[in-house]
Amino acid sequence: MNVLPLRPDVAADSTPARGPASAMIEIDRVSQVFQTAGRQSHLALSQISLTIEDGAFVSILGPSGCGKSTLLYIVGGFVKPTDGVAKMRGKAITGPGPDRGPVFQEFALFPWKSVLGNVMYGPRQQGVKHAEAEAQSRRLIEMVGLKGFEDFYPKELSGGMKQRVALARTLAYHPAVLLMDEPFGALDAHTRTRLQNDLLNIWERDRKTVLFVTHSVEEAVYLSDKVVVMTRSPGRIKEIVDIDLPRPRRRAELLLDSRYQKLVVDIERMIDDTSEDELRT
Amino acid sequence: MMLLRAVVTRLAPLLACLGLLGIWQVAALILDTDSFPTALDAIRAIPAILGDKESLINILASLRRMAIGFGLAVMVSIPLGLMMGRSRGVAAFFNPLLMIIYPVPKAALMPIIMLWLGVGDVSKTLVIFLGVSLPVIYHSFEGGKAVEEKMLWSGAAMGLSAAQRMIRIVLPAALPEILTGCRTGLVLALITMVTSEMIARQSGAGNILFNALDMGQYDTVFAMIIIIGAMGIGLDAAFEKMRGRLVKWSEPRFDLPLSFS
Repeated sequence: MNVLPLRPDVAADSTPARGPASAMIEIDRVSQVFQTAGRQSHLALSQISLTIEDGAFVSILGPSGCGKSTLLYIVGGFVKPTDGVAKMRGKAITGPGPDRGPVFQEFALFPWKSVLGNVMYGPRQQGVKHAEAEAQSRRLIEMVGLKGFEDFYPKELSGGMKQRVALARTLAYHPAVLLMDEPFGALDAHTRTRLQNDLLNIWERDRKTVLFVTHSVEEAVYLSDKVVVMTRSPGRIKEIVDIDLPRPRRRAELLLDSRYQKLVVDIERMIDDTSEDELRT
Repeated sequence: MMLLRAVVTRLAPLLACLGLLGIWQVAALILDTDSFPTALDAIRAIPAILGDKESLINILASLRRMAIGFGLAVMVSIPLGLMMGRSRGVAAFFNPLLMIIYPVPKAALMPIIMLWLGVGDVSKTLVIFLGVSLPVIYHSFEGGKAVEEKMLWSGAAMGLSAAQRMIRIVLPAALPEILTGCRTGLVLALITMVTSEMIARQSGAGNILFNALDMGQYDTVFAMIIIIGAMGIGLDAAFEKMRGRLVKWSEPRFDLPLSFS
């Protein structure tokens, strides 16, 4: 069952006729400098180049303060890079747009709207008729496991439920790329696992391009096709690891799989090396 | 037992009022001076005021000025406060101005305003306007400032323009805080209304009160105080009812969030 109606323009773009690379997002030598108090400047990102292919699930992994969220905000168009350029389907990103849908750690739901109202907000803004937007939104709410909670306000929901609403709200306007900024970072371990499983199920159904920021190695390996390991201050790409584990992935099987275990250990070592580099300098 | 407690809780405000009137009555009987009539005398004077056409016209004129002053203040202050909350430049420009005006009793400006604009409706409405503006600006500013950046980003990603984000995200998100300011503003409107009429005697509820004071009709004075107080309670209660309906989303329906991942 295809719960998410396909967007004709997305379908057209994903045909091979469009070009050889089928790169959804290209980040080209992007640097970000922040001015801190006292006129000091802090180099958050240094010369990042990265290509994300159409339909890929790519995680950016790194210690806190490595600028991984900043990189996601640049792709989202929320932050302008100091230097370099980020492109979406070959066009330079100049601001936010409905082709890139963010999901934040803080949920950022509209508290004055019900669950249904939140999910319908995007489609309504895009000019979808009320009845159609409502029907679509109800299906999405069911898909994220919140059937029966349509009329609840965000304040009445737990953190895990709020993040499910946030995911449904973003999926509702059919972004070509999902930008997930430590989406499960504020949740307890059990809730986190359930949401990871559900996200994977949803993603394996329609294979949207996902850029996923996290500091959990297991989460990155479990979900991704590719893990981008970053170093801290200034944020640089240390290594890009292909995760060639078969899909669909089932958590219980994966945890016992030696390839999964090796990937987790290898990446953890890379991050440890990074911290040691820091100590040496 | 539960029922009794519920009934007592319901009746508590009424009991408090009756208690206050009781103390008043006893105190007035003990003191026994002309300038302090008993509660019963004051209450007995109320129908005479409300039955008098002239008095009613005065009171309605007061309420009209108050409504206009309050309405205009809210219409100007909410957008100004929200813009200050969202833009550092706007805040930097208006903050010093407001800091100067803030501690000045608005009624103290009345003589100057009267000098410029006369003793009529315009002066009094302007004073009410000034009295209401500051708390509404302040609370709108705080409410606007507190709106989560990520909420605005989410809106921007859906395609909302800057102006749409202001009206459709900042305004509703800040509404609980704005309405808190409006509630304070409403009480201040009543206070500035009475004081403005005290200074510019011409018409209004305050005028009835102070005329009666001049003529030594103390039961009318106290009756007017009760009427003005009742107007305050009534307006506040009506406002609270509306506020509760507008921001019911900010109050939880259950005591605890449901546990469900």
